[in-house]
Amino acid sequence: MATIEVQGLTKAYGDTLANDDLEFSIERGEIFGYLGPNGSGKSTTIRQLMGFQSPTAGTATLFGADIRDQDALREVKSRIGFLPGEPAFNGSVTGEVFLDYQARLKGDSRRAELLELFTPPLERKIREYSTGNKQMLGLVQAFMHDPDLVIMDEPTSGLDPLKQEAFNRFLRRERDDGLTVFFSSHVLGEVRRVCDRVGIIREGRLVTVETVDDLLQRGGKRVRVHTDPPLTKADLGLGGVVDFEAEGRQAQFTFTGDYDELFEALSQHRIVDVEIDEPPIEEVFMHYYGGPQRTEERNDAA
Amino acid sequence: MRLDTARYEARQRVRGSLALAALLGAFSILIVYLYPSIAEAGADIDALIEAFPESFQEGLGVEAYSTIEGFIAAELYQFIWILLLGLYMAYAAGGTFAGDIESKRLYLVLATPVSRTRVVVEKTIALLTPLLVLNLVIPLVVFASTVAIDYPLDPVYLLAVHVLSIPYHLVCLGIGQLLSVTFSRGNTAQLGGIATVFLLFLLDSVTVGTDLEWLGDVSPTRYIDPTEILLHENIYVGDSLLLFAVTLLLLFLSVVRFHDRDI
Repeated sequence: MATIEVQGLTKAYGDTLANDDLEFSIERGEIFGYLGPNGSGKSTTIRQLMGFQSPTAGTATLFGADIRDQDALREVKSRIGFLPGEPAFNGSVTGEVFLDYQARLKGDSRRAELLELFTPPLERKIREYSTGNKQMLGLVQAFMHDPDLVIMDEPTSGLDPLKQEAFNRFLRRERDDGLTVFFSSHVLGEVRRVCDRVGIIREGRLVTVETVDDLLQRGGKRVRVHTDPPLTKADLGLGGVVDFEAEGRQAQFTFTGDYDELFEALSQHRIVDVEIDEPPIEEVFMHYYGGPQRTEERNDAA
Repeated sequence: MRLDTARYEARQRVRGSLALAALLGAFSILIVYLYPSIAEAGADIDALIEAFPESFQEGLGVEAYSTIEGFIAAELYQFIWILLLGLYMAYAAGGTFAGDIESKRLYLVLATPVSRTRVVVEKTIALLTPLLVLNLVIPLVVFASTVAIDYPLDPVYLLAVHVLSIPYHLVCLGIGQLLSVTFSRGNTAQLGGIATVFLLFLLDSVTVGTDLEWLGDVSPTRYIDPTEILLHENIYVGDSLLLFAVTLLLLFLSVVRFHDRDI
């Protein structure tokens, strides 16, 4: 039995289909990234999985418990850790008091260990917390009862890069011990670094579920280069250059080809500045899952 | 029952409740100390009150200022205790769920193995904190200050006013609570609670003595009358039981509404 089994999950808000007939499953000991741009329906799926909102059609099971059955779902919730997107707390209590309260509701066998990794200022009132500290407090409560499954909505948002890396390492280690993780993100790079498999959601529909290796081959990199004199697409003479745009001496394109060839081609030019980055997730969608309208707009602009 | 949520939330209401008790306590002392000078004016004031329309007298519970009972019942209990504290209870209850739903704070509670029914019941229990604190502090302050000015109130009927007003305040709390689980905006539920309780109060007071008096029967204020208890020493237990039954109904409706809604 899969840890999470999503079967035809559909959620409508009025005329808008936030989730449209979603179908996927997540096995024990897997880190599953749920990837999509903001507003694509990621949080809606998570809220349904946690039983906060009920599906319009279809359903899902967590450890075999049907999410439409509040009592059944409650039975398995002691095995589940949860981190909402932009976690909200009562600001008038200290982090310590909040964790004490959560501990009484679900346990805290791993609290001390987690507080060595994530370090919110526990003695201070939560209203004084920065976004990053709130996120760390949220992470501690999500893992402190040693859950078998953790569901997180944008877990690394607000964390500084060092903490993000520590979090990723922690997640992989827990996965090796059998933890199942389902988390959403709109950052392709983050999902790539830590996930085993990725589901991509766009406008409420699941576009694809694939392994990270497969995704890596398609994603490409966003290259911005500032040359003197200006660069044209023909100058590069490379395969794998998509969406080339130039503005003055600045050029930018998505590159899915061989990196050695890219650097060789670039070395023929005087480079003032260069930046190679993850492509925004919207571009991944445009190139690989269709988005004709927006691509045309881009071509017109170019 | 371990009542973890009730204890957690009640702790956060203690300071506000103590502040409210201090404020109301100070105001009570002020009112009581005004009495001797009013009493010296005596019959004249009552004659003035007699001249007002009945609905005005009834609405404000103003009947007789020439006795300490009538004066305290009208100035302190009808207005501050019944009307203002009733509004406060509806307002406070209005914020409990709608505010937590709006801010998404409720997610971290509902993610744990607690049932929604339990969350409603425990949050309601926590809302009793101000009621408990005020009912412990205010009767003592009022009694002590009437003793101090040498016009002591009968402690039995003073206590009766407090005990019998509890079901009334619970109804106000229930109204706020029901609005709170229905709306997803804290402000809407809080202001809605205040507006509902105030309109019901108006409905009661303006219809008294008119052909439409029955309309005011829907208002909880009709079933609690401090003047009747303090001045006339009449206690209607049936009215209090009715209010208590309505409280249970409102709580039940809140649980049902909260159980099935999207958050």
